[in-house]
Amino acid sequence: MKKKLIKTKPKVAIISLTSDEGCQFVLLDLGKKLFNLFKEVELVNFSLIEDKNLPPGKIDVAFVEGVPITKNDVKLLKLIRNRSKILVVIGNCAALGGVPEMKNYQGKEKTIRFIYKNTKGIANPEIKKVDNFVKVDFVIPGCPINGEEFLRLAKILITGKIPEIPQEPVCLECPKRATPDCYLVKRMICFGPITLRGCGAICPKNETACLACRGILKNINPQNFLNALERFANKKEIEECLEIFGIKDEIIKKVK
Amino acid sequence: MKISIPHIHKIEGEAGFWAKVAQTGKVDELKIETLTGLRQIEGILIGRKIKEVPIVVSRICGICPVVHILNACVALEKALEIKITPLTILLRKLFLASQIIQSHTLHLFFMSLADFFNIENDLDLMKKFPKEAEAAIKIRDFSLKITKIIGGRSVHPMTAQIGGFSKLPDKDGLEKILKETPEVLNAAQILIKTFRDLSYPNLKRETKFVSLYSNKEYPFYQENYIKIGDEILTPADFYSNKIEENLKTPPAKRVKYKGEPYMPGPMARIKNNRQLLSSLSKAVFEEFLKTKGLSEKDFFENRFYNLFSQAIEILYFLEKSQEWIKEILESNLKESIPEVKITKGSGLSAMEAPRGTLFTYFEIDKNGRLINCNIITPTAQFLTNIEEDLKIFLPNILNLSDKERKRKIRSLIRAYDPCISCAIH
Repeated sequence: MKKKLIKTKPKVAIISLTSDEGCQFVLLDLGKKLFNLFKEVELVNFSLIEDKNLPPGKIDVAFVEGVPITKNDVKLLKLIRNRSKILVVIGNCAALGGVPEMKNYQGKEKTIRFIYKNTKGIANPEIKKVDNFVKVDFVIPGCPINGEEFLRLAKILITGKIPEIPQEPVCLECPKRATPDCYLVKRMICFGPITLRGCGAICPKNETACLACRGILKNINPQNFLNALERFANKKEIEECLEIFGIKDEIIKKVK
Repeated sequence: MKISIPHIHKIEGEAGFWAKVAQTGKVDELKIETLTGLRQIEGILIGRKIKEVPIVVSRICGICPVVHILNACVALEKALEIKITPLTILLRKLFLASQIIQSHTLHLFFMSLADFFNIENDLDLMKKFPKEAEAAIKIRDFSLKITKIIGGRSVHPMTAQIGGFSKLPDKDGLEKILKETPEVLNAAQILIKTFRDLSYPNLKRETKFVSLYSNKEYPFYQENYIKIGDEILTPADFYSNKIEENLKTPPAKRVKYKGEPYMPGPMARIKNNRQLLSSLSKAVFEEFLKTKGLSEKDFFENRFYNLFSQAIEILYFLEKSQEWIKEILESNLKESIPEVKITKGSGLSAMEAPRGTLFTYFEIDKNGRLINCNIITPTAQFLTNIEEDLKIFLPNILNLSDKERKRKIRSLIRAYDPCISCAIH
């Protein structure tokens, strides 16, 4: 009989910057499946279910949700980067700035003035995605992330390897593709053709168009697609849809 | 003595606690500090098209997106004078109830139970309480299935829109869920027993309870009245004239009623409407009082019993979910969403979120864009009430060790189930 090697379990941390913590709830909503995954790791931080502070020492994989807004967010993010072998951002906020980034398009001073007359002492930076602050090793995209996809990718990440998400569009997973029911056929805005798949086209399956929360494909120039959209939608309308999940600035960079 | 807890774990969002106590035991200063950054959702919504509003408000909170979406839809429907169908109302009630059940269950088992034992980590808690863990996961899985079948997914569901749903749930799925209800009701009894048998810390402080108020049904979706203390008034009167947001100490816009702190939430709903609970859930409440030797007054003066109030509501909403699913299945599950005609207007909606009454107010211009927006969350309303409770509670626990004292402070804060992401959105 082979002697079992005593292996130390990989140390995993789940960290939250400013966000709605929706991606962490996707994890908790996995129920038993999540707790089974946790059996294979040493969970060093997950403050939603643990009443202790982050212990000192190296972290093998850190999953970071949210967007850095406060000084503490930035400090925590840098600390986690320094201590982690692999830093994974989870969700649209961390990956692309998310809904909070919408204020960048309005002029941030204007946005906050609407809420408070006295804005002294409130952190109000331009929203920037996490990779502006630290090196990011992998992105699990979506608003929110897809739980099953997380499990699949996390199992690879905890072995120290970086997985891959095929650079293919949401349309490949969409039951409306090449049918009269396709939003684009119906001359409605849908970003399926330029958006990274992996969500199972969950929005079109529920009769709502894709708003590209998983981000746009790396290997494409979206210009032709945008031109096609402009045949039936006006530019402002398209841009507003791209603002919701922090895609507009990515598109501008790409079509430059 | 100075007491500081820089980061309170196991709550939604980030907050810390700070207090200064004199030698005499008098609390000189005490505050809960919110640490989550401000995302400025209300500001972001200004100028946006109404169609985007449910998508954006959902992102205020990852644990209670459903109530943010539904309250926004109702406020917009009021502004545009859209009449929705009875089936939509029924589906919305079931949808909202499913969120309350899952949020309460998560809070009871995964965030609060460990406070009563010397356990820091839920993975250890699950080892110590395998049967209870199983029951909690079963209830959550069940309620999440309902959220998913109606909303498309559990976090940030996408089907709920102004006027109704983009897609209706399928009959087979609902029938399957219905079959699971007896087993899930048993699981709820396990959770109730666990929380009945706990030994709760002492606390005595009167406060004003606020919730929607009705004489027909345990109120949570839409009602004509709000009750605060003994006063009954309309949501519009309460929102416009009686409460005030503190804009001087941002970012949390703390709310007071005529200058006084108050408490919304499960305990407030039971205080104001307990005669409307089901006979089973009413019996659970009465049995709890009897077992613990408490008067009703004792119960409502001790905020730790907000936890047991959540347990009662889990049972109540599970029973109602069963009824509503049956009712939905009896309908032919067909409807057409009313047409949305853009006009100028304003609308306020008040709805019971898991943590208490949520107020959502919008003004729309003639082009269908928001020109005004205000969202008052339960946590913004009860933060000051937690502090007032802590001022009474703290002198009782000064003799404990530092570690134990901090644990007790955290457990009282957690008993409210605060959601800092909601409070600072």
